[in-house]
Amino acid sequence: MASAEHTKQGFMLSKKHKAGLLNFLSAQGILVFFLICMFAFSLTSEQFLSQSNIMTVVRQASIIGIIAVGVTVVIIGGNLDLSVGSMLSFSTVLVVDLHDKIGPVGAILVMFALTLMLGALNGLLVGFMRLNSLIVTLAMLSAIQGLVLIYSGGQNVDIANQSDTWFGVFGQGYLLGIAVPIIIFSLLAIIVQVVMSFTGYGRRIFAIGGNPVAAVYSGIRKNWCVFSTYMISAFCVACAALVLGARVMGSQNNVGQGYELLVLAGIILGGTSLLGGAGSIWKTVIGVLILGFIQNGLLLMGYPYYTQWLVTWVIIILAVWLDLANKRKRLLTRHS
Amino acid sequence: MFKKKVLSVMVATLVSGAVYAQDEVRIGITQNNVGVDSYQTTYEKAFEEAAAANDNVDVVVLDAGGDVARQIGQVRNLIQQQVDAIIIWPTNGQAVIPAIRQAYNAGIPVVVTNSKIADAGLEYIAAFSGPDNVQQGASSAEMMCEALDGEGQIVQIAGQPGYTTAMERSQGFEDRLAEACPGVEILETQPADWNREKAQRVMENFLTKYDVIDGVYAGDDNMGVGALNAAKSAGRAGDIVFIGATNFAVGYEAIERGEYYGSIYQSPVDDAEAALQTALDVLAGKDVPKMNFFETPKITADNLAEFDKPVF
Repeated sequence: MASAEHTKQGFMLSKKHKAGLLNFLSAQGILVFFLICMFAFSLTSEQFLSQSNIMTVVRQASIIGIIAVGVTVVIIGGNLDLSVGSMLSFSTVLVVDLHDKIGPVGAILVMFALTLMLGALNGLLVGFMRLNSLIVTLAMLSAIQGLVLIYSGGQNVDIANQSDTWFGVFGQGYLLGIAVPIIIFSLLAIIVQVVMSFTGYGRRIFAIGGNPVAAVYSGIRKNWCVFSTYMISAFCVACAALVLGARVMGSQNNVGQGYELLVLAGIILGGTSLLGGAGSIWKTVIGVLILGFIQNGLLLMGYPYYTQWLVTWVIIILAVWLDLANKRKRLLTRHS
Repeated sequence: MFKKKVLSVMVATLVSGAVYAQDEVRIGITQNNVGVDSYQTTYEKAFEEAAAANDNVDVVVLDAGGDVARQIGQVRNLIQQQVDAIIIWPTNGQAVIPAIRQAYNAGIPVVVTNSKIADAGLEYIAAFSGPDNVQQGASSAEMMCEALDGEGQIVQIAGQPGYTTAMERSQGFEDRLAEACPGVEILETQPADWNREKAQRVMENFLTKYDVIDGVYAGDDNMGVGALNAAKSAGRAGDIVFIGATNFAVGYEAIERGEYYGSIYQSPVDDAEAALQTALDVLAGKDVPKMNFFETPKITADNLAEFDKPVF
């Protein structure tokens, strides 16, 4: 008797556990998908799961990842930022060019200051003048690219004596065996995730992205909040420029071209809604890593890298569809 | 005696007539996109200097800013101005052909400079002047063969897919390598869009994928140096021979440091001077071949001192 009860209880427990697992799986679809991707690629290539390859991919993904952390905040706040690609070109050209003219410290300070000014301009136009963020940042995308060409006069910039400067550490250095770009990426992601989840500021950003009218009526200063998201985005771009400039030790005028779309791809793949009010940094991190591993996996399998464009977007559309189907199902079961 | 005198007077008139005509030569040039990269910026400066050095030439210098529609407008403008010859750096090898045909119909000779136009337009141009990308690829293949003693495994990092220059360089390299150096095998080719950072990423993946890489051929030094950076971080630069197909300042410096085997020297100054000279030869009625390639020599540590460091 006792044993039968025990079994029953055990059965119930495992059933409950099973349901919990299923719920977990459907809620964390992107994580599951990530693991499936990793497994599939590891079957086709021996080197794929080697430690050095994983570190290479994460290091390569960190530039896009750093920017994506900032843009995720803008998107949660209900806006878009397409200007990050050109801003990355601008900041990288600036920091590399100034390095030889005023030294690394000055170059980094000036670069951060000017990049934040561009972010402030975005924030002013979208936050305070209430212009459509898609149009504003699309305009900034080409305006800043123009600015880069005017500044550089079309010349590539390079750091002359690469062995005489500590500047390279941001792109090529290691701390405790971990590549510095990965450390910068992780730190930014953790800090911003904590801010978004556990502070009043984070909740206000979610509120204005989810329901701007209600947010304003509950006393949130929407203008300033939107403005601040663009400052965060610009700050992240400046960090990415530091990594990129130090990695290449030089810069072309159009080095950031197309980054805005890669960043968006990572964010969408992670599952942050473009409508605002929902999303999280760690999802974006996983989305960006999936992109990185897909690109790397396809290369290791010997496909030309532009097949990645096709594969990436097929996967994104699939992921968005699965996510949506899942949400619909949950909504339906809740109502019935 | 009298006859001879008449003849000499006639010759004198002819000669002075010719000199007079040369005084009047007006050449219009429409460039692709000055200011977008150092090569084009230097080209423009060199072209203007070459024209200024020649007293008989008057030039109208225009720039299309990379815009096909604007370039077509500029060609029409030059036809209206009745210049003696038009030099065009095509923004697009296909779309500019109708404008070139208009100039041809108006009796104005057209010289295409730097990058080729589609075959359909060749009958309307007087001449092409520029670098021979196929030959550049072939020369790089010869250097690769020499550096590896005819034996080894290499990877190729190519320029932008679909861009004529990138395709011709790859073609020239692959064909010559197969012919002159069957012992050298191309493991894989990946494009990196003339972008150093992208080349660095591609090379990092190659280094993961292949335990042995003896050489890297890059479509230009910008990408080649990206590959070199990746190999340096992985501690494998010493085992690999790096060869590019257009020498950039960064590549020149890397050759100087002994980290980079060689490249192809292509000077925008030579490019600009060759274009102007070709146009002048056409106007002087000389028998100008359709394709005029200026020389783009190999550059390695052995002959580095003979060349100035590129400005780009």
